[in-house]
Amino acid sequence: MMSNAQFEIQLIASLVAIACAIPGTFLVLRKMAMISDAISHSILPGIVIGFFITQDLNSPLLILLAALTGILTVVLVEYIQKTGLVKEDTAIGLVFPILFSIGVILIAKNANDVHLDVDAVLLGELAFAPFDRLIISGVDVGPKSLWVIGSILIVTIGLLIAFFKELKISTFDAGLAASLGFSPAIIHYGLMTISSITTVGAFDAVGAILVVALMIAPAATAYLLTNDLKRMLLYAIGFGVFSAISGYWLAHGLDASIAGSITTMLGLVFLLVYLFAPNKGVIAVLYREKQQRTEVSLLTFLLHLKNHSEESERHVNHLNEHINWQKVRSKTVLDLALKNNMIQFDKNIVSLTEKGQLFTTQAIDYIITNEDGKIEHMKDDFFLFRG
Amino acid sequence: MDIAEYIRLVFSDYTLRTITLGTAILGAVTGMLGSFAVLRKQSLLGDAISHAALPGIAIAFLITGAKDSNILLLGALVSGLIGTFWIRGIISKTHLKSDTALGLILSLFFGFGMLLLTFIQKQPNANQAGLDKYLFGQAATLVESDVWMMTIVTGACLLVLLLFWKEFKILLFDADYTKTLGFNTKFIDILITTFIVLAIVLGLQTVGVVLMSAMLLAPAAAARQWTNSLGMMVFLAAIFGALSGVFGTAISATQNNLSTGPVIVIIAGIFVLFSFIFSPSRGLLFKQIRFIKNRRDLQLHKTLAFMFRIAETHENISHPHAIIILNNFQGFTKGTLQQLVRKNYVKLDGNMWSLTEEGFKTATNLYNQQNSNDE
Repeated sequence: MMSNAQFEIQLIASLVAIACAIPGTFLVLRKMAMISDAISHSILPGIVIGFFITQDLNSPLLILLAALTGILTVVLVEYIQKTGLVKEDTAIGLVFPILFSIGVILIAKNANDVHLDVDAVLLGELAFAPFDRLIISGVDVGPKSLWVIGSILIVTIGLLIAFFKELKISTFDAGLAASLGFSPAIIHYGLMTISSITTVGAFDAVGAILVVALMIAPAATAYLLTNDLKRMLLYAIGFGVFSAISGYWLAHGLDASIAGSITTMLGLVFLLVYLFAPNKGVIAVLYREKQQRTEVSLLTFLLHLKNHSEESERHVNHLNEHINWQKVRSKTVLDLALKNNMIQFDKNIVSLTEKGQLFTTQAIDYIITNEDGKIEHMKDDFFLFRG
Repeated sequence: MDIAEYIRLVFSDYTLRTITLGTAILGAVTGMLGSFAVLRKQSLLGDAISHAALPGIAIAFLITGAKDSNILLLGALVSGLIGTFWIRGIISKTHLKSDTALGLILSLFFGFGMLLLTFIQKQPNANQAGLDKYLFGQAATLVESDVWMMTIVTGACLLVLLLFWKEFKILLFDADYTKTLGFNTKFIDILITTFIVLAIVLGLQTVGVVLMSAMLLAPAAAARQWTNSLGMMVFLAAIFGALSGVFGTAISATQNNLSTGPVIVIIAGIFVLFSFIFSPSRGLLFKQIRFIKNRRDLQLHKTLAFMFRIAETHENISHPHAIIILNNFQGFTKGTLQQLVRKNYVKLDGNMWSLTEEGFKTATNLYNQQNSNDE
């Protein structure tokens, strides 16, 4: 039987997963995934300063200050990049460690006043979340972090529904969005603000690194399975929630960090999809590449036959040495050509059939003209022997 | 503590000497290799690798149970390399972009490492204290053998750099050309990447996982501002890195409660900021000065062109005009007028100005130049 605290931990983890998956999907699509890593580190000084003022890790002011530091990071990165002195990735790599260092030093120099642990900020501890209750006029209404992440999630979903069209267009075609009158800059900074706020709201429950994992991994996994934005969002949310809940039970079994276990589950899910995704998985890609290699070999072989009328060039044994193929490969190619009635044998001398003649003539046309229009109807012929 | 006393202490005190030497050598080697990372647009690779090394440290500890830092670093190296090649696999085999691949490997490996670390901590007989120093780095734990290790790696790195200098350089700037020349680009690529991973892994103990990327980038980004030559850049980056290490150690050693890693990173950041602003050819300060100077020149030309158009309507080009009529024109100030006088383009006489022969000629050419530019 699940205890109340266990249920609350899983609920918080799932809400964090959803709240991260939504901005994460857009970050991945906009090729800005590393910005989330930068934000998650550089909010540290904001959190420390906010903590000096409020003495409460869940105070709205602290979240606001930390989110401002996150936006400051984005602005700084963009400013440095605009000077042209270094590339964008270098700018990101410079800004966040320096801000993070400032945060660490601030903590160290005020160690007596700040009960704030850098480990806790980076790694978080979900197991303690249910013990910090929000009490309104004497009534216990639930864990504080549940309320924090819940409010952030509601705002995120509200903004997503309200600006879905704008987000979609500006993500895929910033120029079109601008010409339609949506300011790409506003959408960009809006997304950055949401990402910062989500990172801050989630960090003390799950830690900065898990926030990055929850933003990037579900979205990247979903991207390997679909090209449809709505579906990608749904898949990402699904993967996030699944990893959050299964990760919790993994941590329970191993008696280890919940954040670490959730990330490990995210990693496993990604690994599976990375390997086995139907069209874009590594195995599918490798298989397709192998097929294409065979097809190119077959074409080379057929053209070789067409070019040489003399028998010596068309002898089976000659093929191995001349085209420099290994035996196995020659056999695959020969079988494929035979199966498609492209060639015929006459005492170990290979020659093209009618169909083979026609095909190679077409293929030469294809190579010489290289025009899209001509290629279109050729494609079917080329992929004929795939099935 | 004054500076002279500190310097004396560096030479006499074992711990301080070890740390100073260690951070200086580390700064030098990361600066050198960082130059390649920055120029190959792989700046964030360092961040990803340093995070990806964490599970390797934990697994090495789980297998051997030893805290010998060389064995742990070997684990880090293996896991860092696996991370690096997986990142490449993701980029080349799927349509996910490099930023996503980096972020994925970084966070997933790090999370898995955390799982292992917390798992180790719960083991009853494990003496795991000291593993989490790899998270934030503790330069204070450096011992002489660590420094020797760093020196050996730096030496090997220098040797390889010198041996393959030409290949590295050409691969950096024109990979396709390198391939057509018949070099084994894959081998060179793997060689340099392996050395970058090695340098990062070496630094984990000193500055930690989180700040390692700055050690790799900052000296190189600073050095880039001062030179366009690869050799000079690598040399300068090594110097900047070493200086950051020495100064960082000095500041953190003389203050209470300051860990070395963050201070070194901030010193390196100051080098970057200084270079961004004050580098003569690329720096922001001189760029701004050149910008203002150009604007002044343009305004001067505008004033001269305006005067020319007035003088043109008179038979005698040196016919004096009242300064007042220039008032309608925005580019005119006392300063610019004086400058025109100094260049001997204009003569001033009380409230009147007149163009000189030379001024008229220059203005005519100015006009022609503009015309020919328009065409």
